[in-house]
Amino acid sequence: MPGTTRREVLIGAGALAAAAVAAPILAACQPAKTGGSGKVVVMTDPNEFNDDDRKTLEAATKLKIEIVPSNLTTLYAMWAAGNPPDVFRVQAAGVPQYISRKMVKNLQPYFANSKLLKPDDLAPANNFYKWDGKQVGKGDLYGMVKDWSPDFTLFAYTTAFDDAGVKVPSDTTPLTYDELRDLAKKVNKKAAGKRVYWGFVHSNNDAWIDRTAMNMLAEKQQSLYTDDFSKIAISSNPEATKVIRYLYDLAADGVNQTPIDPSPNWMGADFNEGQIAILQYGYWYSAMAESDKTKGKTVFLPAPTWAGVRRDPTMTATGWVVSSQTKDADAAWAVFEQYMGGKPAQDRAKSGWGVPGLKSLYSQMPQESAFQKQVQKVLQGELSKSDFILQFNPYIGEETFATSWKKNLEPALKGQITFEKFVQNIEAEVNTAIADGKRIIGG
Amino acid sequence: MTFYLLISPWLLGFVLLSAIPLVGAFVMSFTNYDGLNLDYLRFVGPDNYARALGDADAQYALGRTLLLMLVVVPVGLVLQLALALMVNQPIRFSNAFRTIFYLPYVIPVVAGVWIWKIFVDPSGGLVNAALGVVLPDFNVRWLVEYPTFVLALLTIWGAAGGGMVVFLAGLQGIPAEYREAAMIDGASRTQVTRFITLPLLTPVIFFNLVTGIIVALQILVQPMLLSPGILGLNPGTVPPRDNYFYVVHAYIEIFTKQLFGYGSALLWLLFAVVLGLTVLLFKTSRRWVFYGVEP
Amino acid sequence: MSLALARRRTSPAQTGVRYGPVVVAAIAFALPIFWLLVTSLKKQSEYGSALFPSVLQWANYELAVELADFGHFATNSLVLSTAYALLAVLVSALVGYGFARHSAPGRGKLFMLVIATWMVPNLVLFVPQFVLFARLGLTNTYWPWILWGLSGSPFAIFLFRQFFASFPRELDDAAEVDGAGPLRIFLQIYMPNAGPAIAASAIFMFLWVWGDWLYPALLLRQDNTTLAVRMANAYLDPHGNPLQTVTMAGVALYVLPLIAFFAFAQRFIVRGIVTTGIKG
Repeated sequence: MPGTTRREVLIGAGALAAAAVAAPILAACQPAKTGGSGKVVVMTDPNEFNDDDRKTLEAATKLKIEIVPSNLTTLYAMWAAGNPPDVFRVQAAGVPQYISRKMVKNLQPYFANSKLLKPDDLAPANNFYKWDGKQVGKGDLYGMVKDWSPDFTLFAYTTAFDDAGVKVPSDTTPLTYDELRDLAKKVNKKAAGKRVYWGFVHSNNDAWIDRTAMNMLAEKQQSLYTDDFSKIAISSNPEATKVIRYLYDLAADGVNQTPIDPSPNWMGADFNEGQIAILQYGYWYSAMAESDKTKGKTVFLPAPTWAGVRRDPTMTATGWVVSSQTKDADAAWAVFEQYMGGKPAQDRAKSGWGVPGLKSLYSQMPQESAFQKQVQKVLQGELSKSDFILQFNPYIGEETFATSWKKNLEPALKGQITFEKFVQNIEAEVNTAIADGKRIIGG
Repeated sequence: MTFYLLISPWLLGFVLLSAIPLVGAFVMSFTNYDGLNLDYLRFVGPDNYARALGDADAQYALGRTLLLMLVVVPVGLVLQLALALMVNQPIRFSNAFRTIFYLPYVIPVVAGVWIWKIFVDPSGGLVNAALGVVLPDFNVRWLVEYPTFVLALLTIWGAAGGGMVVFLAGLQGIPAEYREAAMIDGASRTQVTRFITLPLLTPVIFFNLVTGIIVALQILVQPMLLSPGILGLNPGTVPPRDNYFYVVHAYIEIFTKQLFGYGSALLWLLFAVVLGLTVLLFKTSRRWVFYGVEP
Repeated sequence: MSLALARRRTSPAQTGVRYGPVVVAAIAFALPIFWLLVTSLKKQSEYGSALFPSVLQWANYELAVELADFGHFATNSLVLSTAYALLAVLVSALVGYGFARHSAPGRGKLFMLVIATWMVPNLVLFVPQFVLFARLGLTNTYWPWILWGLSGSPFAIFLFRQFFASFPRELDDAAEVDGAGPLRIFLQIYMPNAGPAIAASAIFMFLWVWGDWLYPALLLRQDNTTLAVRMANAYLDPHGNPLQTVTMAGVALYVLPLIAFFAFAQRFIVRGIVTTGIKG
């Protein structure tokens, strides 16, 4: 009887499936313990922390390490879930907020006792991990850069310049931002509606646009925010308006990747493909700037200047912090310390993926190839201009300004809103976010 | 008593996983909860609702959502009905056709988004390659210039099979004698469809209409995944402005900006809109939905 | 042409009318999927330069499996989807049976409640559930899916209720005379005859978890998450450049089992829905 057969088959299949499923389900239902069990959960970028790094760290610390790919929303979701990673990757712009919200642990006592990480040896970029409640760069240390770069340096693709019949800028005389804009328009190129070269790509597709603006403003001792961080001030500050206008004009010129003319890829890959004439990126990118296409055709240039007082700090200061909620701070620190001062740190220094976070490792940066030598020559000049801090706002997250900028840039470039309205919208949105942040931490 | 025992798993689940969280969400919508820390938790009264009503982004997003709904739901319905009528004909390979139309419905959203991303990709996509044959130098970046259009195609394509099957069920529930009788009376095929089949299908049309509207108003994952970037999609991706829909806005307020309280208020307002629309539809349904015949 | 003639013999024009639209529609529906397969078989260097692959690159499929730890994530997806589907179908059938065959005060209202939870926007429910799971320490585990499964699915409850309501009452009466309790009647009489409804609801429950991206993206972590979350990210070369062709191979591997299964099982689904009668 067909009915019986089908029933038997169903029951058999069900039993099999139940058996197959039960064991892993039971295993998977055990909540993964964070800390206290010799396991440290690290949220970081798998591209800069691979499996070999993990094994090296595990061997050095006798701890088990679980990697969670870095992503701001995932980080907050894990926090909201009451299950934050023990150690997580951050960038400088977010640090004041993490400290204000008591999300990260004060590491000053650990640094004081560390044999690997001595306060005198710390590169100045680590000052981004200090916040005393009023100012970035003051007070106790809450984290450390994994490495850093003077981030406003330029990479020029000489083929694009040859193509446009324009001379490649000198690597000894820094450009002004105005010269840079003119140059960008000359080397920018489209053919048959398709992109050949973007003239000047910067600020990581505008994700870091506020950092670029703040560094330009800092040349005149100014900021995007009022001194107490309670408001954003663009339209009330002529200098800030000028800087924002400049960055806006670059987008309107069509020399940069924008929401109405995006690249599906990340800018590093576009440069490798020979599609970017001038790229503003940190020293670390020199480790991969040369692809089959750009090899021998890439020049490293000093950071441009806005008002004649050249500064070239890091704007990312990518590094690690330890969660305030970690259940085993000592284990978290052990991993942190090894990563920042142990063999992984030396490996990173040698690879050229950024300037080391420890001054004692500076000498390990690679300088074999002609390009590496040229890069090092320029870099040495930049290091003296890199000991600066940008005052990031403690009330907002590191993406708040950029999100608002990108959102409003689209209608502005399409001519649906004026530049003035563009600025007003950003101010209104960022001020709302600041007010939300203040309300949360009761500031 | 037996009844309550039998439904107890659902009842228990309903209380623990629906009722209590919903009450919690309602309470949450009157607080500043940030999802991180209970230390700063405070009641803010109706502030979140007041803010939502003045939120330009929420209004914009709601407008886009209603626009999408007004396009996707009617077009989708007509297509689903047409597909059902087509495969319900005595044609050869009707099973194969039915399978083809049904397939996109079972393709998971992540895969569906990838399929369309690559299909309309300016460099490797078939659409531009085919149009390029007719129009030299054709270079439309669909996901940048017409993201809502692509999204509408994706959702219509993805939902068509599900609606078609429900229509097929309805069609097969219509006794064949009705149509045969009409044919014998001299009615044409079109007339039979118009005066016999369609009126008898109105309950199914109504069902598909209501579910279609509820789904369209809640659209979230597709627009987020359909961002123009090719590298990957993370939970924090913000779609292009055209595809900034209401639930996307609420999602970003909650999970990116950590405004759990405010985001909850936004979602309750959406629930009110969904409920209102559904009630309205049920009211109008008395005029046009034909419940006369029990198949 | 008269009606009578037309019915006797179909002319080429009528064949065209009958087959033209359906063939065009089928091509339109299948084309994006066809392009997925074409792309998955190209060399990466052919992406954007050649319309069709010169040599079929089956190696893309091997790469897709190797580069993404595909088996691991597929197992996660399979385990989670199967577990949820088994639990949800069993519980929903039981609850649907209760609604269909046993009366008690408040039954109608409770059934309306089932339908109502179906209409609550997903995120309205998910956000507080997320907070709840978080506070209970259940994020990063499969418990949320187990709990969801144990409380049944409103859709499946509805389906089973409709399905069981059409069963003849005499079945119960005869069994009751034999002294069988409600649970035994359910297991021995109703379930064995509920094939189409079980198949249809099991497939939908399975598919919901297999295809869902949002919940695992927010609730699970890299090591125990599902294939959907992994597939949301492109495959990259060591420089971080996207490998569209390998990505499409991965996507194909992610959906092909479903497609094969559905091509085989779709008549069950249709029958399940037809016999259930959506109209109620």
